[in-house]
Amino acid sequence: MIQNAENIKEKEHHHISSYKEHFSTLMALLLLTVITVAISVFGADLRTMSVFTALLIATVKVIVVSYYFMHLKYDKKIYTWLVMIVAILFISFAVLTIIEYLNR
Amino acid sequence: MPNSGHNRDAEASKLGMWLFLFTELLLFGGLFIVYMVYRTLNPESFLIASFELDVAMGTFNTIVLLVSSMTIAMSITAIQLGDAKKSIALLITTMALAMVFLVVKYFEWSAKIHHGLFPGHEVYQNLPPGESLFFFLYFFMTGLHALHIIIGGVIIAVVIYRTNKGLVNQDRFTLTENAGLYWHLVDLIWIYLFPLFYLIH
Amino acid sequence: MTSTALKLNYLQVKKGLFSWIFSVDHKRIGLLYLYSLLTFFVAGVTLGILMRLELLNPGKDLMEAKTYNQVFTMHGVIMIFLFIIPSIPAVFGNFFLPIMLGTDDVSFPRINLLSWWVYIIGAIMALSTLMFGDGPADTGWTFYAPYSVKTGTNVTMAVLAAFVLGFSSILTGLNFIVTIHRLRTPGMGFLKMPLFAWALYATSWIQLLATPVVGITLLMIVAERVFGVGLFDPAIGGDPILYQHLFWIYSHPAVYIMALPAFGIISEVLPTFSNRTIFGYKAIAFSSLAIAFVGYFVWGHHMFTAGMSGPARIIYSIMTFLVAIPTAIKVFNWVATLYKGSIDVQPPLLYSLGFIFQFMVGGLSGLVLGALATDIHLHDTYFVVGHFHYVMFGGTGFAFFGALHYWYPKIWGRMYNKLVANIAFFIFFIGFNLLYFPMMIAGLMGMPRRYYDYLPEFHLPNMISTFGSWVLAVGLLLMLGNLIAGFWRKREKIGRNPWGTGITLEWQTLSPPPITNFDRMPVLPKDGPYDYDHKPDIKE
Repeated sequence: MIQNAENIKEKEHHHISSYKEHFSTLMALLLLTVITVAISVFGADLRTMSVFTALLIATVKVIVVSYYFMHLKYDKKIYTWLVMIVAILFISFAVLTIIEYLNR
Repeated sequence: MPNSGHNRDAEASKLGMWLFLFTELLLFGGLFIVYMVYRTLNPESFLIASFELDVAMGTFNTIVLLVSSMTIAMSITAIQLGDAKKSIALLITTMALAMVFLVVKYFEWSAKIHHGLFPGHEVYQNLPPGESLFFFLYFFMTGLHALHIIIGGVIIAVVIYRTNKGLVNQDRFTLTENAGLYWHLVDLIWIYLFPLFYLIH
Repeated sequence: MTSTALKLNYLQVKKGLFSWIFSVDHKRIGLLYLYSLLTFFVAGVTLGILMRLELLNPGKDLMEAKTYNQVFTMHGVIMIFLFIIPSIPAVFGNFFLPIMLGTDDVSFPRINLLSWWVYIIGAIMALSTLMFGDGPADTGWTFYAPYSVKTGTNVTMAVLAAFVLGFSSILTGLNFIVTIHRLRTPGMGFLKMPLFAWALYATSWIQLLATPVVGITLLMIVAERVFGVGLFDPAIGGDPILYQHLFWIYSHPAVYIMALPAFGIISEVLPTFSNRTIFGYKAIAFSSLAIAFVGYFVWGHHMFTAGMSGPARIIYSIMTFLVAIPTAIKVFNWVATLYKGSIDVQPPLLYSLGFIFQFMVGGLSGLVLGALATDIHLHDTYFVVGHFHYVMFGGTGFAFFGALHYWYPKIWGRMYNKLVANIAFFIFFIGFNLLYFPMMIAGLMGMPRRYYDYLPEFHLPNMISTFGSWVLAVGLLLMLGNLIAGFWRKREKIGRNPWGTGITLEWQTLSPPPITNFDRMPVLPKDGPYDYDHKPDIKE
């Protein structure tokens, strides 16, 4: 029963990311990766901060991947909102759980 | 009926895919919470255990996946521009990179199993508390991740097949986009797995 | 001239088993769910009756302790995973959401069918635990570590079944979210959607986001059992309480998966039988979202005596009190809707009134449990058992049966005997309260739960409760029998709006609906879905 008619609303202009944009995105990600490994291997003084630094840089990478590769920058805003809400939800689970452990 | 559930609706497919990705994020999220708790409870053990992992191999695999994210994103650009051939070539490249990742993983895992560091083996049984948790989480999480790479590979194969047949084309490329989204998710999970397991110090 | 005799309805188009179990029509899928669900419900009730027989007197009456543990585990697994969680969304959501939105199906009809098949596979897996090895799990439906890891009963299969059933729930939620976003009829913004749709929307987000967490947790139990690795074993640096955290991160929001759709039903039934608009539409709509949201952060209230740290317990207790507020808002608005309405006492209204009373009892007892000091005494007693049966059964269960009585004429184009339906309701209601209220008393007196034996001082409440279970069973049988007998009653012509005062879009189409839901484009009321001042003029 699947008809072949396109939904008329979706004939809107669809943004097409360029090859160049994708390549630049990769370069940024590789740079961030190098930084992460460098801090870990050479910056041993940052011991206590290292997990947060690592997660922070990883989060930046994730934002770059979502925003450019996954096209969130050019999609309807609702997708970005949903991703943020889900992220906050997960972080809340983690925070509530770890609060319980840290107070034992 | 203009708003029929039986019409092809690209936006609905995209939304559906994102919703599915949310479930995957929370699925892995549960494991990340376990990791977080147990690392908090056993910080020294986790550090010591992590020395068994090879940072070079982990970094290499990270780069492989990042490049594969680019190639699949480019394959979407290609099909949107009407270049099915290029799209397929980029998809094949993505699959090849995925296989490289899995091969490296295979070597990493077999090295550990060879050293008896697998649940059920003797060395593993005698590990200090906390260290066995590290390794169990390592195998469970990278294993689940590898399963998702295999699934992703199958999905990409389907896209290649359908693009080849012309069923995926410049006017209908939602499948490629959604495959891309799934693939980027696999990349995202690895972006967190890598520092948490390989770069603890 | 359109003759309705020329238009086949969805029941008549294509016949035979295969046309049903491979149907992608949301209405047929809803009924597939209904028939399977009711079957499992009857099995679950039977297990409940058996438990009550064992508890009639202290000491062994019918079964050994271990068997009793298996019975209450199976009872919980069936009732929660096979009945309540799918119930209203999978049956009435599937059947009516597209119609209420003015469209002809959900966004992904094939995924809809898949969700039913996955449900059936999960159900078979769960029931299979009866058939082999050491028998069904005896851990309680909560599968707590370390016992769930160590016991020889069929925990692995039970837990995998729950995983599969969770997948079905996720697919339903995903489908509904996309449907609500994409397929509302032109002119129906979010704030013109019926409240049942709002309820399903909030529920679907919980189904989507919470279920995966328990999914992975159950896989960890399987991993522990299969690989002998202690993930929750303190001897190797693990923590059994972590299992509880992960389990309840889903299972608390799960109770809102059960409650929110029921709230949605009440919000539909009350305007119809008060013949006036709902009081506080926006408050009810947004309170559904608020409950879904806050409900994610209260899970620790199931673990107050497990060994959590003090500050954490205080946080969970505060959050638990907060989540009660939006629910209270709904109750006030429902009562305000009835006030000065033109009340038509029909079976669906009776079930809704029963719901409001019973859900209040359950909800208020929940506050007693949410307060740390009182919970210490009441955790793991029969007070808890009473509490959750009042909200899940007296609440959602009654709403489910109310919905069944409400939409029966629309679904099948027939009507049941209303007098018998009302009598059945009263027997059901009285039986329900005789069964569960004594549990609150027994709990306050100190009777622990999940024990197959008890001290003589708890004998009286247990006897009353068991007697209540028989009255309830009679009421249930009468109710279900009456609904089934409706198929053999002399056929009266059921029009588009058999209750006369229905205003949401399903009351504009034929009873039963045509395969594409509408024979004419639905007309939206002017000022929102419950605009009784400007009822569209619907001709037969």
